[in-house]
Amino acid sequence: MDQLELLKKDWKKQEGSLPKLSKEALSNLIHKKSSSIVKWIFIISVLELVVPQLAYLFIDYDETSDFTRELGLSNFFTIFSVIFYLVIFYFIFRFYKNYKTISANSNPKELMQNIIKTRKTVKYYIWFNLALVPILSIILLYKAFNSAEFLEKIPSDTNMIAVWLIALMFVGILVALVWLFYRLIYGILLNKLEHNYKELMSNGVE
Amino acid sequence: MTYLSIETNQTLTKELEHKFVLDLEQNQNIVHKVCRIYTNNQDAHNDLFQEISIQLWKAYPKFRGESKFSTWMYRVALNTAITLYRKSKRSIKTQDFDSVLFKVESTDYDDIEEEQLKILYKTIHHLSDIEKALVFLYLEDKNYKEIAETMGITEVNARVKMNRVKNKLRNILNP
Repeated sequence: MDQLELLKKDWKKQEGSLPKLSKEALSNLIHKKSSSIVKWIFIISVLELVVPQLAYLFIDYDETSDFTRELGLSNFFTIFSVIFYLVIFYFIFRFYKNYKTISANSNPKELMQNIIKTRKTVKYYIWFNLALVPILSIILLYKAFNSAEFLEKIPSDTNMIAVWLIALMFVGILVALVWLFYRLIYGILLNKLEHNYKELMSNGVE
Repeated sequence: MTYLSIETNQTLTKELEHKFVLDLEQNQNIVHKVCRIYTNNQDAHNDLFQEISIQLWKAYPKFRGESKFSTWMYRVALNTAITLYRKSKRSIKTQDFDSVLFKVESTDYDDIEEEQLKILYKTIHHLSDIEKALVFLYLEDKNYKEIAETMGITEVNARVKMNRVKNKLRNILNP
């Protein structure tokens, strides 16, 4: 027998061993793409919360609390932490909700609305984190520059405006770095979502 | 008024999706077989299957029933596999050949035939994206008219290309 005929015969025989997906599985399959992106947004946001906590395990906690106490910011930091975690948990909850609604969804129009909603949530989340950097830095700097320890160490004729300008420049760089970090992580995911959204649009769903 | 039209629109898409899923379920073998030709492990198979399903669903509203659903499916599935293969050619090439996907039933063949089949499947995996499509359509017993229609080439061209790839396979087995 010709080898190619043999191949054809074997190919036909393999048909029996092909996977068979149910209608439900297939229906889920065609909506999965967006849900997996949204799932990643959710997972990354949780990781972002958990990873810094792990870092604290290696940082001498007493030393940092001494530092904040010296600056007279102990109470401020406790209150700040509580608010911060509340807000972050709220965002994680929103991400989770988005993930749930998108995965359970089967209607292209609703899917599009959910994509818009998810993109908005992520944007707010990034703005919140970005705004936090300068606010926190400026409070810390203000307290540090006015602490007795600092004033003792610097020469009395130091131009404080220049010190502030340099400090603010570093804050600016820090904000840019944080922005870049978010742009990188969430930017890729958001772009994919947008691409998906456009595909749905071109599919005639409006 | 607008609200009502949105409602109708939603019902329409739901109906369309229902119809599509039914069509896809009945013809899913085609997609699985395309995946078998273009991928060499289960994960890649599943990924490609999903990608093809999505592309089919995207193109479904434009399917007017001019050709048979299965013919249309061959075309969309192959196009998706070819474009996807182009994009990740290197990553696919470096993957190991997963013999699990192509189980040669040893009881029905003698040793020489079994060995030949293994070599053939391995060779197919090293063919170009277009050549794979041709071999696939040959294995599916498509005539040149259908092959030309699916691949968007002329019948003469299909015949020439097919003979070339067949000879290529034969030459590898009988050097």
